[in-house]
Order: sequence, then structure tokens, then C-alpha cells
Amino acid sequence: MGKVAIDWKQYDATASWDELVTPAGRARSGAGPLLRVLSRLTDAELTERQAAAELAIRSMGITFTVYSGEDASGIDRAWPFDIVPRLIRKREWDRISRGLKQRVRALNAFIDDVYHGQRALRDGVVPARYVRKSKEFRQRCVGIDPPHGVWAHVCGTDLVRDRDGALYVLEDNLRVPSGVSYMLENRAIMKRVFPELFDDYVIHPVDDYPQRLAACLRSLAPQSRSSPRVVVLTPGIHNSAYFEHTYLASVMGADLVEGTDLTVGKDDCVYMKTIAGRVRVDVIYRRIDDLFLDPSVFNPNSMLGVPGLMRAWQAGKVALANAPGCGVADDKVIYTFVPDLVRYFLNEEPILANVPSYRCVEKESRDYVLDNLDKLVVKPANESGGYGMLMGPGACAKERTAFARAVRANPRNYMAQPMLTLSSAPTLVGPPGSDQRMQPRHLDLRPFILSGAETYVTMGGLTRVAMKKGSMVVNSSQGGGSKDTWVVDLDP
Amino acid sequence: MKHSLLSSAAERLYWLGRYIERAENTARLIMVNAGLLMEMPARLPLGWRPLIDITDTAKRFDSLYAEATERNVCRFLTCDSRHSSAITNALAAARENARTVRETMPRVTFEYINDLHDFAHSELTPNPSRVKRRAALNGLSLRVQRLEGFLSQNMLHDAPWQFLRLGNHIERADMTTRIIDVRTADLLPPGHGLAPFQEIQWRSVLISLFARQSYHATISAVVQRPLVLEFLLSNLDLPRSYAYCLEAIRRGIRSLPRNSKSLGACNRALHDLQAANVGELEGATLHRFIDNCQTRLGELHTAMQETWFRGG
Repeated sequence: MGKVAIDWKQYDATASWDELVTPAGRARSGAGPLLRVLSRLTDAELTERQAAAELAIRSMGITFTVYSGEDASGIDRAWPFDIVPRLIRKREWDRISRGLKQRVRALNAFIDDVYHGQRALRDGVVPARYVRKSKEFRQRCVGIDPPHGVWAHVCGTDLVRDRDGALYVLEDNLRVPSGVSYMLENRAIMKRVFPELFDDYVIHPVDDYPQRLAACLRSLAPQSRSSPRVVVLTPGIHNSAYFEHTYLASVMGADLVEGTDLTVGKDDCVYMKTIAGRVRVDVIYRRIDDLFLDPSVFNPNSMLGVPGLMRAWQAGKVALANAPGCGVADDKVIYTFVPDLVRYFLNEEPILANVPSYRCVEKESRDYVLDNLDKLVVKPANESGGYGMLMGPGACAKERTAFARAVRANPRNYMAQPMLTLSSAPTLVGPPGSDQRMQPRHLDLRPFILSGAETYVTMGGLTRVAMKKGSMVVNSSQGGGSKDTWVVDLDP
Repeated sequence: MKHSLLSSAAERLYWLGRYIERAENTARLIMVNAGLLMEMPARLPLGWRPLIDITDTAKRFDSLYAEATERNVCRFLTCDSRHSSAITNALAAARENARTVRETMPRVTFEYINDLHDFAHSELTPNPSRVKRRAALNGLSLRVQRLEGFLSQNMLHDAPWQFLRLGNHIERADMTTRIIDVRTADLLPPGHGLAPFQEIQWRSVLISLFARQSYHATISAVVQRPLVLEFLLSNLDLPRSYAYCLEAIRRGIRSLPRNSKSLGACNRALHDLQAANVGELEGATLHRFIDNCQTRLGELHTAMQETWFRGG
């Protein structure tokens, strides 16, 4: 006790690109003041801060739900949080932010094109069979004109850095991306438990997101409506992101509704049941998947949706965010075409790079993938949450054989990428007490991009961190943690 | 006022108000009963059974326990996971409700409710010492008051607030009438030579409703049945009196849309109270009167359910 806990010279930052520490054990540009404050803390103090953070999380009720075999309703877990923030320089962030806007503009143009002229398919930018065979393509959306021509109003794009420091887009989550409430709460926790860290930096605030989201959603309301009513549609308390649904509803001043609270009238308008009777709803920020939205159209067994909702949306009487069918661009095979889509629709060079990818449906690529399964990550087109992937280098021969069979049987459903070594940052690990150590842990970053009448990118995003040594799996459902993300002004 | 509160949210807020009130009332009942027993002569078989009668849980209790001992009753009422109205379970239900209506209350409210829940679950144990039990129940009561104070000073007093308060007041009116019913029924018959203890018991009725000091401040006479009954049923300044609760409910209902059914039900309850000569109620007539109060409260609940919770 009492000794200086962190000797940065002992911190091994050579195995990956570390966001705060150089391979020689020095502070990366801008990280100096942060590392100095951390170095001054004793073991006991570090443990105390981490405990304070955990207490704050418990008392604020920041949870996520994990599904497990034994308990069908899921278990509420405290949100995992690490007290060391991740830094991004404002100048770099500005470039990333421009890149994200560009990317989402191209994706929206592509989705709109898929449901209208299909120009990009006819011109061969994306072979038509990829779209037609996509599980996320919805015939019912053909010809629909959502406001502003925007389909993906809320996008969560995952960014990673490889071991040389180069930044890549890993995937674009366009269906119902979650995590933004944790980004906001991480900042609130950090202010509570580490106020002195804020003295040395000009940190850009993140808390305007809810108002931007509310404005974005209001901009989608049918034009005749002067003060639009916005609601958040949740599948209910057992959903893993329920905390986020309640959070966003409360900070936006929107109503949190479940399917049973809504009805569609003969006039094709959507109404919610209130103490004053039926009240018309103009915009639904839906946090349930397409196929559960409307049991009269999609899954007839869905208890989560609202019968007639698709009819109301098609008639333009209600806006749905994100629009049904937008998942057609949230497909890991379509992902491989995004740089081409940026060039095709925007006539610009992509600012952000994709991870080099192999489409298994193309014979040459497939042969390469099958020959190199031990070096690649193979991903199914339509899974999320890190499920159903093969992490080649770590997999056993049996898993690889099973995947080879799956890829041959349905090549359209798979793509592969080289195994990146995700960048890392110092993370407090180990059991509380003297065994706690700062060690590098791999991380990614999920910024959120809003598109309505205007486009907006969060200042930074949600940094997710793999808490297990060497692990690249950052998903909270699989033991990942998170960090506060600071976009800092260092350049005069 | 924003009148278009979601029906489902209104119902959850109402129940949230009821569960919180129920938890606090139960804590208070146990504390008061423990204090009362310390001053009672041993041959009076008052014991802990009355708390089971007051909370109207005899059926459940008897299915789980053989005897209404202090230990059994306290465990049953505070932390028995098999009993849905045990404090820990009421607060678990309150917390679930609070989670689903977070957007209608100040965000920090959830921290208070969460803390209340966690406190109850860690401090209420099956067989604590009396000192520890008192500390836990008192801590719980303070936390409820902090929550209610915070809400009253910081929450918008619009429809969500009104439903919370309606839940509080209906639960409280229910509890007040039950306490009067049970505590007056187990009072000693007149003329058995234990008059000082009878006074203690009437005092305990006052203490159960946090009304002892108020009684003495209002009424300059010794504690006696007609005055106590009038005070607890009809006094409009006493926050736990039946009349006060009904008036508060009436004000709440009047501020809400589509209120005619609920207002009618509330007015009927008030009318019955005004029509009764409560000071003269005794024995069977008092019991019948209380029964009628319970029926009226049930009708009020049904009216609210039909217009606001199930409506659309």
C-alpha cells in the first residue's frame, strides 16, 4: 500500500497499437497529463476509484440484460466500466466525423436506390443477386419515400485501429444499434469518480446527443403536424437494451411505449392509449427488429409489434426510425461494397477505409478463404453482437472444418477478413486490491451518426474494451467492458 | 398540463405509489407494535397477530407459519420471499415499475428507489435482534421520506405525479381504516379494571398513524375513543386521516382528464364519511362502517382502472 501503482515502463505496449502509451513506454502525444495523474495514485486509491465507479453504476441503475440458458427472462447486470479514459485528438476526430457522414450518406443513397430505381444494381456496382438474396431486403418497401430520402436515421459504426495505427471501419450497424446511452452515462460516471482528470484537458461534451436525436426524429414527422409526438417503441423490460430505451425516452421527453400501447386506426394513423383517450403518434423510434414490427405483415406470432403499422408507415401517416428495410445495407457482404458506393453515389473518394475483405461467394476469394481459415476472421452476413463468427487463429481444427462446410453450403452468407490486432489502452484488471494492475486491453469505438433533415455525429462514441487478456471480443454480452471516450483539443 | 400520459405508464406510476406506501406503512406497523408490547402487561394476549389482520394476509400467513410469533410475523412482513406484500417484495415490485416509467420522473428518482430496494434487501433479515430490526425499519422509513420529499420538491406536478400520489393516498386510506378496524376490535371491553392500558392502546392507534402529537396539539382532552375516531377518520389537517386522504384523492382526480367516473366514486366515499356520526361508532357499527370504506376504496380503484388504465 502507498506505493506508486503504475510504472509505465513496465506496461507492455508492444503487442498492439496502444492509444495512450508508445512502445517505448512513453505517453503518446496528449496523454501525458492523464498518465501522470494515474501514476500518482496508489494501488489503494485506484481500487477505490474503480469501486466508486461501480457503486455509481449500481445506484444509477445502469444495467444491461444478459440472456442465459437457465433464466429465460435474462439477468440484469451492472454496466462494466473501466476508469481509464480513451483519448482521441480533435483534429483526428474531425476527419473521422467527416468520413462517417460521407459513409452514411452513401449508405442511405444506396438503400433508397435499392427500393427505387436500383441504378447501382443495374450498373453493376453491387451485383443484383447480393441484394435480392439478402435476408434484410423487404419487397414491401419498394417505392416508399421516407422523409428526406433517409432510411437509416440512427447508425452505429464500429471503428477499429490495427497494430500500425491505421483506422478502419469494421461494420455499419443500421438496424437498431445500441450503446449510445452508455456513452452518455460513462461520461457522467467519470465526472463523479475522477473529477480531477478533467482539469488538464479541454474535453468536448457528449451530452447534446439526446436533443439532436429528438430534433432528428421530429424532422421526420408528417409535414402537416405542428408539434409532433415522438415515442420510443421497446420490446419491453426483458430486452438487453431496455435500460437504453428508458434512458433515451426520458432525456428526450418522449413516451416509452410497447406494442400494446399503440393501435392503428381506420384512418391509417397510429394512436397511443393515454389517460385522455387516443392520442396520435407521429414518429416512432422503434427499437425492435423489422420482422416484429407488424404481425399482420411479418411475423404473425410477434407480440411486440402493432398490427397495421406497416400500412400506416406506407401511407406516410407515421415515420419509423430506422425505416423498415434499411437493414439491406447492414449486411457484412454489402459492407464490402461501401467504398464503391461512396464513389458511385457521391462521386467522392472514401475518407474512411474498410478492412480488406473477401466475399466467399466469389470463387477465387472463397478458395483463398478456405485455404487460410487459420488466419482469417469469417463472419456471417446478418448476425450481430459478435455471434456466429469464426476467429480463425484461435479456433480448433474442428471449428474450422465446420465453418468450411458452412461456407461451401452457403457462400453468399459469409465474408472473411484478416485478423486485425485491435488497438489497446491501459485498463485496470484483476481482482480488487493489490493484485489489480494496469494492462493493455483491446478496444474498438462505436460513434453514432444521426440523419434526418440534418446530419450529426457524436463527439467520440462508445469505447468498448475486451476485458480478457488478448481477447478481441468487445461485446458486452460476451464479457466486454467500456471506457469513457474523450475528444480533446490539443491543437491551438 | 400534459394530459396524454400513456395509460400503461399511469397504471405503473399508481402501483409504484402504492408499493412504496405499503412498504413504509408495514415498517411503521412493526415499529409501533414492538413499542406497544413493551408497555403491555404480559397477560394481555395482544402479540403480533393483529399485524396479520391489519395487512389482511391471514390466509397466506397461516399457510406458511404455525404460530403468530414475533419472529414469524416480522419475517413474513419484512423479508419473506414467499409473501408478495413483504417489504422486500413490495420494493422489488416498486423498482420494476420504476424501471418502466423512468421517462416520466426525474432521472435521479431511480437512484433513490434503487437504493431503497437495495437497502431493504441487505438490511431486512429473517431473524434480527430487536435493535437491528428497528434500525433497519427506521432506515427504510427515512429513505422513503427522502424519496417522497425529493419528488414533491422536484418533480413536475403533472399527470405522472398525480398518479403516484393517487397510489400513495389510496394505499394510505386503506391502511388507516384497517388499523382503526383491527386496533379497535382487539381493544379491551370496558369495565375490566385495566383502564390505563386501554388508554395505552388508543394511544397506540394514534402512534400507528403518526398522529399522537398532532392529537394533543389539536384536542385538549385525554385520549378517548370518540375523539380519536373523529380525529383519525374526519380531521382534514391530519395527513393520514381517512378524510384527508380522500380529499387529496379528489383534488388529484379533478386535475386529470376524463375524471367523472373516478370523481363520482370518490365523492360517494366522502359522502358516506360525512353522513356517519363517527364519534358514536363502536363495535359492530364501527366494523360495518370500515367495511363500507373498504368497499368504496375498491370502487374507486375500479373506476380509475376502467377510465385511465384500461382506456384508450
